Amino acid sequence: MTFVVTEACIKCKYMDCVEVCPVDCFYEGENMLVIHPDECIDCGVCEPECPAEAIKSDNETGLERWLALNAEYARKWPNITAKGTPPPDADRWKDVPDKFAKHFSENCGSEDNDDKSRAA
Amino acid sequence: MTSDQEHSERRARIVQGIVDETGVDDAMIKTLVHTFYGKVRTDELIGPVFDRVIKDWDPHLEKMCDFWSSVMLMSGRYKGNPMIAHMRLKMVRPEHFERWLALFMETAGEVCPPRAAEAFVGRAQNIARSLQMGMFYRADKFPPRAGQGAP
Repeated sequence: MTFVVTEACIKCKYMDCVEVCPVDCFYEGENMLVIHPDECIDCGVCEPECPAEAIKSDNETGLERWLALNAEYARKWPNITAKGTPPPDADRWKDVPDKFAKHFSENCGSEDNDDKSRAA
Repeated sequence: MTSDQEHSERRARIVQGIVDETGVDDAMIKTLVHTFYGKVRTDELIGPVFDRVIKDWDPHLEKMCDFWSSVMLMSGRYKGNPMIAHMRLKMVRPEHFERWLALFMETAGEVCPPRAAEAFVGRAQNIARSLQMGMFYRADKFPPRAGQGAP
C-alpha cells in the first residue's frame, strides 16, 4: 500500500509534503512530484498536507494510471528531501483540469533543491 | 501566491485538529514507545530479534519517539528509510510483525485514551502492512544487488 501523487500536483508543486514525509520518498520532476511506491510506508502524513489535494491513498479506485506514473518517474527523477520554492503562479493552477495532457513535464526537477539553481 | 506563513498556519490547524480529537502529545508518545519496547525486549518471539539488531537502546527509543512524533504530529523530527532498514533483516518473518502489532495494540490500549490508541494502531497497521509488502511480497520490484544472481 502506498500513497500516490495525482494530476492536481502538476504546475502547483507546493512541496509541503516533502517537509512532513518521514521517509523522504518524494521524487522531483520539473513541475510535479511523485512518491516512490516501494519506499512509502503508508503513514498518511502527507495526504492532508497537500494544498492541491493531489495525494491519494492507493486504496482508492481508479488510481492505477497514477500509481504507474509515480513508480516510473520515481526511478527517473531525483529524490527531494527539503522543500524548495513553489512556482510563483502555483495558486493559479490549483483547480485547473486536464493538466496532465497539456502541461506534464518529463524533465527532472532541481537535484539540490537550491533556490538559486531553481531560479536560473 | 500562498505564503509560507499560510502553509505553516494550515499545518498548525491540521495538527491541532489531531490533538483535539485524540489527545496525542509528545509525552503520550514517549510513554507508549518506552512501555511498548519494554514489552518487546522481554517477548520470547521478537525480543531476541531486536536484541540482535539494536545494540544501544537509548538512541533507538529516542529515534522511535521522533518517528511517532513525525507520523502523529507531523513534526518532521524523524528522517530515515525504514523500508531499507527492514529489508536488510533477513531473519524477520510475517509472524514477527503479527506479534509486534499485537503488543503495540495491547500497549496502546493500556497507556492511551481510546481515540489516541485507535489513531496509533491504525497508523501502525498501515505501516506494518506496507513494510511487509516490501519485505515479503515485492521481491520482483527490487533488482538484485550487483554480484548477486537471480534467486
